Amino acid sequence: MYMSKYIISLTLILLPLILLGQSEPIDLQKKDTVEYKEQYGLRVGADISKLVLSFVDEDYTGLELVGDYRLTHKLYLAAEIGNETKTQSENLSQTLLYNFETTGSYIKAGVDMNTYENWFGMNNSIILGGRYAVASFSQTLNDYSIFDSNQYYNQEFLAGAEPGREFTGLTASWLELVVGIKAELFANIYVGMSARLGFLITNKEDENFPNLWIPGFNKVTDGSNFGVNYNYSITYLIPFYKKSKKKKEPNPQ
Amino acid sequence: MKKIIPFLLIISMVIYVSSCEKDDICVNGDTPLLIVRFYDIADTTASKDVPSLRIKEVILNSAVNTFTDRSSNLDSIGIPIRSDATTTSFAFITNSADDADTGEETGNIDTLTFTYTTREAFISSACGFVMNFDNLSVSLPASANNWIQDIKVVQESVENSDNVHVKIYY
Repeated sequence: MYMSKYIISLTLILLPLILLGQSEPIDLQKKDTVEYKEQYGLRVGADISKLVLSFVDEDYTGLELVGDYRLTHKLYLAAEIGNETKTQSENLSQTLLYNFETTGSYIKAGVDMNTYENWFGMNNSIILGGRYAVASFSQTLNDYSIFDSNQYYNQEFLAGAEPGREFTGLTASWLELVVGIKAELFANIYVGMSARLGFLITNKEDENFPNLWIPGFNKVTDGSNFGVNYNYSITYLIPFYKKSKKKKEPNPQ
Repeated sequence: MKKIIPFLLIISMVIYVSSCEKDDICVNGDTPLLIVRFYDIADTTASKDVPSLRIKEVILNSAVNTFTDRSSNLDSIGIPIRSDATTTSFAFITNSADDADTGEETGNIDTLTFTYTTREAFISSACGFVMNFDNLSVSLPASANNWIQDIKVVQESVENSDNVHVKIYY
């Protein structure tokens, strides 16, 4: 009798321990959700392709500074500002049709959205973005000749009457769709590349010589408002503060 | 996976747009020829073929290269005018033939002088500039032997070779 009383007492005492043991897995899950704080700040840098081209291609000089500022987990304010000078020629076999130089500046501003969900501790992005861009530039028609397939008078094309004409006060504005990637190479140093599809909205050109190339927009195609340009950037993140990612609501099962 | 699809769509659109650029081959423009059409003086609406037509530019003194010399079945011709001057004179010869003995021209020669102003025009990125001509006028010294009876400039601006610019009645 004494013995059974003892066993019941012992069971009652140990019962909370069993309950404790059962609550242990919940504790473990709590340990799992260590908060990771993401870096917020201003990322600034330059387009390396334009720098490299400036050294390699004697007909081109250009510089583009890029920057973005992180607003939320996914959203960034982004902008590019640049200046480009490019000399181009159009030839028909050996004969020069025209040679011109475009020089001017542009600014692009808009947003980038990171569509990539990083693994723990990584800071890479797949970017979808949009920009509004404006450019102010001038074109100089260095040299040109008059195309004439009939060679009754001259075997060669007649030289243009006014070479060296400069067309100033040219402007253009366009919308840009951005797709790109950015990867953290070292701590706070990022490399990125993006392709941009531009759609010209305004294009103020001289009636005697159209805008064939626009700084920041790239080549203008006859009879089309679309243009394509690329950028390859290297940027440095100036960290301002850290903020943890908003917890996702558990999916209702 | 869902996010990849719009991404790929946009990438392919960029590639599509960049690949559909026009070829840089000049096909859509040229310095225009002056188009002359011959009409019957008796019935001014009916075009009329000129027998054995020969046209020589006066300074070069050679037949123009745009139609078969001494053709008899042409009522319309295109002739090149000088881009580096504001007048071009042509000898319009009907019934053109060479004298069997002397080799001299036996046809009826009327010398027409075309006066105009030149204007450089940018046509396309592939062709660059061509010459256009404005304020076209034609003069023919009066003579009893002229085979050409009347001349009308129907288009003062020569910007393409598709339309008739000058009508000649004989």
